[in-house]
This record gives sequence, structure tokens and C-alpha cells, in this order.
Amino acid sequence: MTISRRVFVKSGGLALVSLGLDPLFLARAAFASGRPAVRPSDRPTLVCLFQRGAVDGLNMIVPHGEPAYYQERPRIAVPADSVVDLDGHFGLHPSLAPLKELWDNKSLAAIHAIGSPDATRSHFDAQDYMETGTPGVKSTGDGWANRYCQHDREHADTPFRAVAFGPQLPRILAGSAPSLAIDDLQAFGLRVPQEAARDRLTRAFEELYDGAGTGLLASSSREGFEAVQMLKRADPTQYRPANGADYPPGRLGKTLLQIAQLIKADVGLEIAFADCGGWDTHVNQGSSDGQLAARLRELGLALAAFNRDLGDRMRNVVVLTMSEFGRTIRENGNSGTDHGHATAMLALGGPVNGGRVLGRWPGLALEQRFEGRDVAVTTDFRDLFGEILARHLGATDLGTVFPGYTPSAARFLGVVRG
Amino acid sequence: MHLFLVLALAAQMPALTPRDSAFHALNRLAYGARPGEVDSVARFGVMKWIERQLDADHVSDSHLAQREREFKILSYDRGDLAGRYRDATRERQRLQREAAATGDSTRIRDAHPMQEFRELGGELQQLAIVRAALSERQLHEIMVDFWTNHFNVFVGKGADRFLLPSYIEETIRPRALGRFDELLIATAESPAMMFYLDNAQSVAPGSTPPRPLRSLFARRRFGMNEMPEDRRRRPTGINENYARELLELHTLGVDGGYTQQDIIEVARIFTGWSIEPPDRGAGFVFRDWAHDRGTKRVFGLTFDDDGKDEGIRLLKFLANQHATMHHVSAKLCARFVADEPPDGCIDAAVAAWQKTHGDIRAVLRAIFTSPDFWTPQATRSKVKTPLEFVVSALRATAIEPDDTPRFAQLVARLGEPLYQQPAPTGYAETEAHWVNSGALLARMNAAMAIAKDCSSIPAIEDHAQLVETIDRQLLAGSMSAHTKSVILEQLADVTDPMQARALAVGLALGGPDFQKQ
Repeated sequence: MTISRRVFVKSGGLALVSLGLDPLFLARAAFASGRPAVRPSDRPTLVCLFQRGAVDGLNMIVPHGEPAYYQERPRIAVPADSVVDLDGHFGLHPSLAPLKELWDNKSLAAIHAIGSPDATRSHFDAQDYMETGTPGVKSTGDGWANRYCQHDREHADTPFRAVAFGPQLPRILAGSAPSLAIDDLQAFGLRVPQEAARDRLTRAFEELYDGAGTGLLASSSREGFEAVQMLKRADPTQYRPANGADYPPGRLGKTLLQIAQLIKADVGLEIAFADCGGWDTHVNQGSSDGQLAARLRELGLALAAFNRDLGDRMRNVVVLTMSEFGRTIRENGNSGTDHGHATAMLALGGPVNGGRVLGRWPGLALEQRFEGRDVAVTTDFRDLFGEILARHLGATDLGTVFPGYTPSAARFLGVVRG
Repeated sequence: MHLFLVLALAAQMPALTPRDSAFHALNRLAYGARPGEVDSVARFGVMKWIERQLDADHVSDSHLAQREREFKILSYDRGDLAGRYRDATRERQRLQREAAATGDSTRIRDAHPMQEFRELGGELQQLAIVRAALSERQLHEIMVDFWTNHFNVFVGKGADRFLLPSYIEETIRPRALGRFDELLIATAESPAMMFYLDNAQSVAPGSTPPRPLRSLFARRRFGMNEMPEDRRRRPTGINENYARELLELHTLGVDGGYTQQDIIEVARIFTGWSIEPPDRGAGFVFRDWAHDRGTKRVFGLTFDDDGKDEGIRLLKFLANQHATMHHVSAKLCARFVADEPPDGCIDAAVAAWQKTHGDIRAVLRAIFTSPDFWTPQATRSKVKTPLEFVVSALRATAIEPDDTPRFAQLVARLGEPLYQQPAPTGYAETEAHWVNSGALLARMNAAMAIAKDCSSIPAIEDHAQLVETIDRQLLAGSMSAHTKSVILEQLADVTDPMQARALAVGLALGGPDFQKQ
């Protein structure tokens, strides 16, 4: 939907005034753009969840139609009768049952046998490769999400364009394009307990940097104070999830709630990133219940709550889960699994061409495996990330986002609706 | 010779007063000025002070030596730490087995067998802060930080949790102002680097360990938890990681004109450069059986079944290649002169390198006597890294850091957790990497926190006088008129002198003037 910039500024501004936000920022954003402006609520957003520690894709999206799965995992396989069947061959782990509704309405897709062309089984290296987007190359300085922001500066004018939730900026967002690390929306800004004193100190620093002239210090500080102001008006302490959404307790639920809040505040959020750990299940992984089941339950409940909370706004949101590699097909001597190769990822949201398990399934037979033990990679993760950047966020130059690799539309899985 | 240089410089730098020059030198060769230090260096003579810093061995550092005794990490050698690490890993494995048998994994969470290593990691970081803030050998500390990043090792990767302390103490620190080729060889012979860049598991294809070693290799290679299942698997081929980073980062540079085939040949030369298991002290070892005995040809050289000497020969060759001299000199100039350094100082550094075959002091001296170093545009033009920001604030306010990890945590919160850069590039030097809106807000918060502890500035009732004092002590009189007027305005209705001091110092440290060096 295209509308003239004037109308956009006016209506966008009005919409924001009703939310208590500053229309000035939007005016700047609109004029900065070389393309026809979109309404802030129509801006696409990508939410990335990194399952650090290597999630067991085989117990997340269970190949219950594969006899080898049950042969190799006598103690930890999810029994066929407790799997939430998707297509007769694959099914959701029972802990992910809250997501079945999204599968049925075609806004949830699973991608199986996806991973890195690099064979490393080191968490550290594999996470690095997935975040820099350059498997096998360790010296890449910036992350692919940052490089996307570098090459496409359409809405570079909001401080909230790329936000990582956590104390530090992760590799995926490291680089020269501005990006924010926010540990807690409610505590973002200067840490002074009293509001009046905090406002005063904020104004004082703002004035100090106003005199700093031009350059990165001046522009970054302006963005920072703008962000503080925008957040103050959006008043994160007063946020209530919509549609009775009930986020599970814990870090993941809290983070997704804050992402939902930023999306609804129309501050220009384009890429949000969050970590969720606890997937390195070497010991006592469990099957329908147990360690992994508990982690998946939290993930399923948090994603379902996020979807419910955003309601109609999910039409422009894609949530993508990712993990550095998968785990061994065969269970180990400690009722767990060791580091493997391919894993599974989830994509959900309005733009997702859901209700399907995407990616070519390589099978679990010995000769079909990677190095005789792991699920083989049939989809390079860059093909999935590239498709979402191109078809959902509108990236035009994937070559600079994934240097040394040419994502090709021919290899896209069709995860985003055409 | 040096007198001549001083005179030559005096003619070239009319714009910098002796105090300006002293402040500039303290900002770049040191972590900023302590109270009164600008004047004392200016009186002593800035070029003479620079010479003293280059001759760090003869600078006495007794106060720091006394403070270092508080850090128990310095009393453990690599063997002690390896033993403790092995015990901790075993304890964790025992708890894991127990958890697998009972189905109860709460105990393993409560017992925290690896807790000691987390604490030692925090101690190591804070030790870096204490040294940077208190050492009289400031240039040495700056160069330790420079090489620690140039030859980066990530403390969070498996065995590097216990290998890093000896890497810093025994590999980097003694050579920070020595010769580049010796430093390069020392990093290559360090177990920390061989583990970090995976060379420890690089073996000639088809090679097998001699029988007595085989079970050791097969079962518990390095006692590391990074890839537990791999302990049961023997490495089967070459690993190119170290070879690639050696050429790209440590020596020639990314545009150094080498090919993928060169990387493979270099990796073959380094097959067998490995580490002992933790039970045996986790030291560096050259494994003859794992070394590729075939002919390797790279950079016009031929290496033929000469064991470990092949690697040493290659490192010596790389250390004095023009591409290496240029790459490392440009990085040094980015650190000391400007984010995008002018050619003049780089050329001067390369010439000194060539002449002395990589004497780091000579290279640095060439940079510090280059006219580019002393131009007025070069002063106060570089944004401080988080480490430089926090340590310079501690020095300017005369706050002595204690042995708790709190200032190291502050540096981490600003985005530079020490020794925790996973990428072999190390932390970046340039402003684009450190200045962003969230990071600046974090610096303002850090400034206010540090200001609370600042008692070295008298709580003067007269606000104008207070601001003048702060300007002199923190910024050597370089505070902008705008900053002064904003601070004065903010102080207008503050009656409590202690409160006024904390606010004024916080605004000065968190404001734009103090971000630069």
C-alpha cells in the first residue's frame, strides 16, 4: 500500500500522537526514505530467536514416520502416540501443542535438515558462523543482520530499527549500522531511581551532546535520547498484553512481550533478536517429558502468547527460530544426544507460507547420514535467511549480506508467501 | 640523536604547547593523565617521558607489584590450572552420570563444578583493569592490550578457560615491547592459541598416533567440554583455521596476496603443533607422528620433512614480509594516531621495522616521532574504547580499583568484556564499533557511577571554581565552553557541595569531551 508522504506524515503522525509518540521522528524517517513510504504499522518485522546450545531438531519436529528414529533412540524418542501429528510423517513435540493452531491456519512452517555447510561441531564456531553468515570464515567482523541494515538504509533513522534483547550486542547485529542492545525496556536510559531527577539528568546530557557538533558521537547520542523519549511516552511499565495473551514466566516470555510492545508502539522496529538457551542436552534429555520438553514448553507457550498478543499485527511479522547445529541421531550412553549437524527451525507469522514442513528430508538411514551419524544438511541456512530478508523485509542485495555466497531464488524454499 | 628529534619536532609543532603535547602523549601512550601528571610530564619533557616509557624495564612499578599480590590467579601456573580444570570437569561428569541415573538434574545445577573457573575469569579481567590503571609502565600496558587483541584468544572456548592466564602472563606480557618475530613464534607455540584456532587437532591425513598414545587420543583428548562426543573421535585431517588467521590477521593481512592453496600449504606445515592433555599439564607439544612429512611449497619457499623447524622458519619469514610490516604498522598507527592513519606515520613505522627487523620499540618510536602524531588534528580525535574510557576515568579521578570485578564488569557492560571476544579479530579500535546510542547511554551511566566515588576533587562551594578544577584535573583544561556552561546551568540550584561535585564530575566524564583522547 502506497500513500503520499504528506498524507503519511499526517496520518502516521496522528496515529502516533494517540499513542503518545513524537510525530517529528516519523517525518524525518519518511523524508529520509527514497522509496514510497509505508505506514508504520505496515512495516515488516523479523524476530530472530537463537536457540543457543544446539536444539535437537529430531525431538522438536519429530519424524515419527521414520522407523530409524525409534531404533536409534530407544529411551528418548517421542512415542508416535504423543506426537502432535502434522503431515503423517512429521509431528510437533507434545510440548509445542500450543502452536498446532498456527500450523492449522497456515502461519507456521517447519524447516527440517537445515544447517551450515561447515562441519564444525563446536558451539562457539557454529554460532559464530550462523551469526556472521559466513560459515568457515572466522574473521568476519560483522553480523548478517547488521550488514542487511548497512546496505538498506531505508529506515536508518529510527534508533529502534535493529534491537537485541540482552546485556550485549550479539554477533549477528555487530557492525557499523546502528543497533541497540536493550536488557530491559523498562530500565532503558539513564539509571536514576526518581523520575524527575532522571528526566533532568537526561536533559542535561542531551544538551551536552547537542553542543558536540557533528559526527558519530553527536548523531548517536541524538538517536539514544530520541529512543529514551519515545520509550518514555510509550510507557513500557503500563503495557498489558492484548487478547488475553498469557506469556509464560521466565526470560523468553518477558523478552517476547517487550518485542510485541515495541512492534505495537510503531517505533520502526525491523529486526529484533533474542537468545534462549538450555538446548545442549547431552544428559538425560527426556522424551515427551523431561529437560528438553520443559524448554520446548516454554518456547511454545511464549510464541503462542506473542502471536495472540500481536493479533492482527502478525500480518507483518515473521518469527524465525535458529540454532547452530542439530544433535546425533543416536542417543548416547547418558540418555542424551551429542553434537550433530542439521537441525530444524520454525517460521511463523502472517507472511509465512505455513502448514508445511519445508526442506528436502534426507532420511535417517546410515548411508543418508552426514559422517555416518548426523542428519545431513539439505538446506544451507543462508538460503532460508536470504529468502526472508528478500521476500519479507525487501532486501535488494543479498550478495553484500552474505559475502562469498550467492543466494538464489531458485533455492528459496518458499517459506514466505509470494 | 634524540635531542635532534626533539628539536626537529619543536619546529614542526608550533600549534601544540608543552602541556598539550603532554596531554596528547598521556592520552595515547597511557590510559590518560592522573591528577597533576600533565604538568609533571610537560616539565620532565614529553620526548624524554616517551623514551622512558619505551624503556619500560627500567621504570619501577612497586605499587602495582604490591597490588598484584592480591590476585590469586597469579600464583597458579598452567599445570595447577589444568589440574583444577580436569578435576572440575570430572566432577561435572560424575554429577551428570548421577543425574542420568536418578533423573534428577538439580544437584548438578547447585554444585557448579565450574564455578571456580568463572571466578578466576573475573579475577583475570579485573587484574587487567588494575594494571592498566596503576602501572607506571603505561605504554607497556597499552601494548599488552594491543597484542592481546591482535593475537586474540577467546577465554570461553573449552580448554582456553584455563590456558588464557598463562597466555597473557607468559606469552604476551614479556614480549609486548620486544621483537615481533619472537612474539609471533611465542603465540604459535602457546597451547592457548593452538587450541583456540583448532591447530591442536590438525594432523596429516592418514597419520595415526603410536600405540601407547592411541587410547589417550581416542578417549579424552583435551578434557574439554566443548565437543564432548569428539573426545571419542580422533582427528583425521588438517585444520586450516590457524593457518588462515595467521596469514589474514597475525601477519600479511587480508589483502596480503595469498591464496587458498597457500593456506592449505601453511596448514600442512603446522600439522603436529598441538597441546598435551590436561593430565600432563596441557603444555605445547610437537607431535611428530601427526606432522605432514610431504613437500610443501608456499611463498616461493620449499619445506621438506623438517619437523617443527618448518613452522619456525615460516613464521620468521612471515614476520618480516613487507605486507606484514605494513599491516601491523597500519594497525599500530590506527591505535596511536588516528582511526584512518595518514600514510606518513605508517611509512615511518615500516621503515623502522625494516631497519631493525621488527624491533617493536623502534617501530613505536618512529610513530611517536612522526609529524603525523603531533598534528593538532590528531589530538583529542579518537574515541576511547570502553576499556580506555573506564580506565582513563579511574586515573583522572584518582580512584584506585579494588580486586572485586566491578570495574571489569563496567567495561563489559559498555561492550568490551575482556578476553571474551569470540572472533579472532580481537576488539576493534575504531569509533564506528564503539559509538552507538545504547553504548553512549551506558557510558553516561558508567560516568555517574564512577563520579559517586570521586573524592580527589575538593567539594568546592563556588560552582565556577568547581568546574574549573574539574576541567583542569579531568581534561587538562580542554573542556569546551559549551560543556562548562551546561554543567554550570545544571549546578545552579544544587546547594549541597558533595552533590554538586558528583553531578559535575559525572557530566564531565559522561559528556562528549571525555569520550575522546
